[in-house]
Amino acid sequence: MIIGGLVGPIALLLLAVIVPAVLARVLGSLIRTSLLLTLPIAVSAVLVNVFFFAGGRHVLVQLGPITATAEGLSFAVQVLARILAISGAITLFYLTTPPASLVVDLERRGVSPRLAFVANASVQTVPAMVDRAGAITAAQRARGLDTEGSIWRRVRGILPIVGPVILGAIGEVEERTMALEARGFTRPGRRTLLWAPPDSSAQSAARWLLLLSVPALLAARLAGVLG
Amino acid sequence: MVELAVESLVHVYRQGQVRAIDGVDLHLGPGERVALIGQNGSGKTTLVRHLNGLLRPTSGRVLVDGTDAVQQTVAQLAARVGLVFQDPDRQIFAATVRREVEFGPRNLGFSGDRLRAAVDDALRATGLDAEQRTNPYDLGASRRKLLALASVLAMSTPVLVLDEPTTGQDPRGVERVGRIVRSVASSGRTVIAVTHDMRFAAETFERVVVLRAGRIILDGPPTAVFAAASWEALRSTFLEPPAAAVVGDRLGFGSTPTDATLVAALAGAGTDQ
Amino acid sequence: MLIFEGVSYRYAGAERISLRDVDLELHDGEVVGLVGANESGKSTLCLLASGLAPRSIGGTLTGRILLDGAQTAGRPMHELAARIGIAFQNPGTQLSGVTATVYEEVAFGPMNLGLPLADVLGRTRHALEMLGIEALAERDPARLSGGQQQLTAIASLLAMRPRHLVLDEPTAQLDPAGTRLVGEALARLAEEGASILIAEHKTDLLADLVSRVVVLAKGRVALDGPGRAILGDPRLAELGVAEPSGVRLARLAREAGLPQRALDLAAASA
Repeated sequence: MIIGGLVGPIALLLLAVIVPAVLARVLGSLIRTSLLLTLPIAVSAVLVNVFFFAGGRHVLVQLGPITATAEGLSFAVQVLARILAISGAITLFYLTTPPASLVVDLERRGVSPRLAFVANASVQTVPAMVDRAGAITAAQRARGLDTEGSIWRRVRGILPIVGPVILGAIGEVEERTMALEARGFTRPGRRTLLWAPPDSSAQSAARWLLLLSVPALLAARLAGVLG
Repeated sequence: MVELAVESLVHVYRQGQVRAIDGVDLHLGPGERVALIGQNGSGKTTLVRHLNGLLRPTSGRVLVDGTDAVQQTVAQLAARVGLVFQDPDRQIFAATVRREVEFGPRNLGFSGDRLRAAVDDALRATGLDAEQRTNPYDLGASRRKLLALASVLAMSTPVLVLDEPTTGQDPRGVERVGRIVRSVASSGRTVIAVTHDMRFAAETFERVVVLRAGRIILDGPPTAVFAAASWEALRSTFLEPPAAAVVGDRLGFGSTPTDATLVAALAGAGTDQ
Repeated sequence: MLIFEGVSYRYAGAERISLRDVDLELHDGEVVGLVGANESGKSTLCLLASGLAPRSIGGTLTGRILLDGAQTAGRPMHELAARIGIAFQNPGTQLSGVTATVYEEVAFGPMNLGLPLADVLGRTRHALEMLGIEALAERDPARLSGGQQQLTAIASLLAMRPRHLVLDEPTAQLDPAGTRLVGEALARLAEEGASILIAEHKTDLLADLVSRVVVLAKGRVALDGPGRAILGDPRLAELGVAEPSGVRLARLAREAGLPQRALDLAAASA
C-alpha cells in the first residue's frame, strides 16, 4: 500500500510527460512553467495529505495533536504526481504546438473557421490586452490616480482602469468584426487553406496508440491491476 | 509656476537594447509653448513620459522645479505635470462628461467651489459645456479627444503636456486646441505638445524641438527650425516644413514659417498697388 | 457604379440623424474625396457604402443604395465584400490579428472566399505588388509601423479584387512618413484606374489624388463637383473643411488686400 499506489501516477508522469518533453527538448521550460502553475495547489495538497491523512499507522513525526504518517506521505506523493501529470501534459501541449498549426489543423479537420478563429484570436489578444491595460494605468496615474497607496485607495482605482479596458475591448471587437466581414469572413462553407502542418505516419501512429491506451488504462484500473 | 530641466537623459526600454532616448538636454521655463516633433519611434512620447514620472531615466535626471523627479511618486508629480494621452478611449470611464473631467482634480484634492470652477473652465475651453451630462461614448471621436484634454486641463497643473492633440480634429478643432495652448501659456503655465502637424507646430508654438533617434537635432523658434537651412535636417527624418515656409522661400522672403509671417512679408514686398 | 438615392441614416440608439437625403453617384474609375467637419457624416457614408451599415451595426436606413446595379440591402456581406472593400483609420484593429506574416494577412480575404489555392496565391502576390510591399511579405503584421500596417490593410482589401475601394481617413493615425507612404500608394492605384472613395481631413493629400470632391455638412451633401473647383471654393472654410495650403495662402493674401500677390502664392504653392 505504501509504495504500491505510487507506481501508476509516477510511471504516467515519466512516460507521458517527462520522456516526451526530453525528446522535444522542452524539459527545462516545462518544469519551470508547470511548477509555476501548480506550486500553490501542490504545496497545499502535500501538507494536507501528510498531516491529515486518516488511518495512517506508521508515524513519522508527531507535532502535538498533528501526526504525519508514512501512509499520508505516500498518498501526498501520489496526489502530487497526479497534479504534475495533468499540468505537465497540458503545458507540454502548449510548449510543442504553435497556435497557428493547431488552428490550421482544426480547420482542416472540419472545425468551423469561426471557432478556430476565436481559439486563435483569444490566444493572440492576451498581449494586446496587457498592453492596453498598461496604457490605461499610465493615463490614469497621470491624472493623479494613486495605485501605490492603501488597499482602499487601490480598490477605488479599479473602475477607472477596468472600465476603459472593457469598453475599449468592446469597441475594438466591433471594429475588428467589421474589418473581418469586409474581407468575407462570414461566408459560409470551407475556406482555402494556405498550408497544412506536417504530419508524419509516426505521429499518427502515436496518436492512435495514445487514444487506445485510454480504455486500456481505464480497464486496468477497474480490474485493480493498477493501484 | 515651474521650471523643467532634463539633463543628459537616456532611456532604454527593458525589452530592447535601443536607446529610445539617447542623451537629451532640455530646459523649459514657465509660460513657454514648446512643440516636440519627429517620426514615430524618435522618442517624443518616451521623453514626455519622464516629465511626470511614468518612466524613470536609465541615466540622467529630470528636475521639476529643482527637485529630482525620481524622488516623487507619479501621484505627486501629477499635481505639477498634466499629461494628456493620444488615445482618449484609454482613459474615459465615467458615466458623464462632467464626472470624467472631475476625476483628475478630485484625485489632486480639489473640492467644492474650486473643483466646480476648474471643471467649468475646462469644459468651456473645450466647448463641451453643453454636454456635461452626456455619456462620453455618445460623443464622436474628435470630441472624446477634447474631453480627454478637458479632464487634464481641469487639474490646473503648472505644466501641461499634450500627446498629438490635433489628430482627427477638423480645422475648427485644431484652432480650438491652439487657443487652449495659448491661453494656458499666457497664465504662466508651460505647454508641451507632441505633434505630427507641422503647421500646428509653427502657428501655435514659440519653440520647436525636433527629435531623431532619441536625440535633439533642432531646437529653436519656428523661424529657425523651419528655415530653409534646416530643411535638410528635417527631411533626414521625413518631416516637411509647413507650406508657408516653402512658399516664402520660393518667393525669396527668407523664413516665413507661419501664414501670418508670409502675408506680412508679401505686404512688405509691396508691389501690389 | 455606386449610387445613393435619397439616403438617410440614423445609428441604433441615436437621437440625431447622421445622414440626410444623400444623393450621390460614384462612377467606375473615379477617385472621389469626401470631406467635411467632424461629425458631418463622412464615416457614416463610408459604412453605408461598404454595406457594413446597417447590416453589422444596426440603425435605420431609408432610401436606396445600389452597387453595380443591385441594391445592397439584403445581400450577404461576403458577396458585397468581393465588390467593395473598406479600410478604416486605425491600422491595428483592421488586421485579422491571427496571422503571423503580411503574406498570410493579405491572403486571408481570398482564403475566406474559398478560391482555388493558385488564385489565392496569385491575388496575394498581385496585391502586395500594387502596394509595393513585397519586401514586407514575411514580416509580422503586428510589428510593422502604422503606415506599413495601413498598406497591408489596403493590400488585404485589394486581394478581394473589389471594384470599389472605400477608405475612411486612412492617414489620420499616421506620422508624416506613414502619410506619405499611403499617399504615394494611393496615387499609384488612382493612376491604374481604381474606383476610390476617400474620406480625409488632409486636403493637401487629396488635391493631387482626386478627380472629384464631395463636401458633407451636418449629414447633407453641401458641395459636389470637380476636385480643383471644390477644393478652391471660398465656402470650404465656413463648412469646417481645411483648404489646401495654396488655396488658403492665396485667400489670406486677398484678404490682406494683395490680390496680385495671391496669384504668385498660388503659383508658388503648386
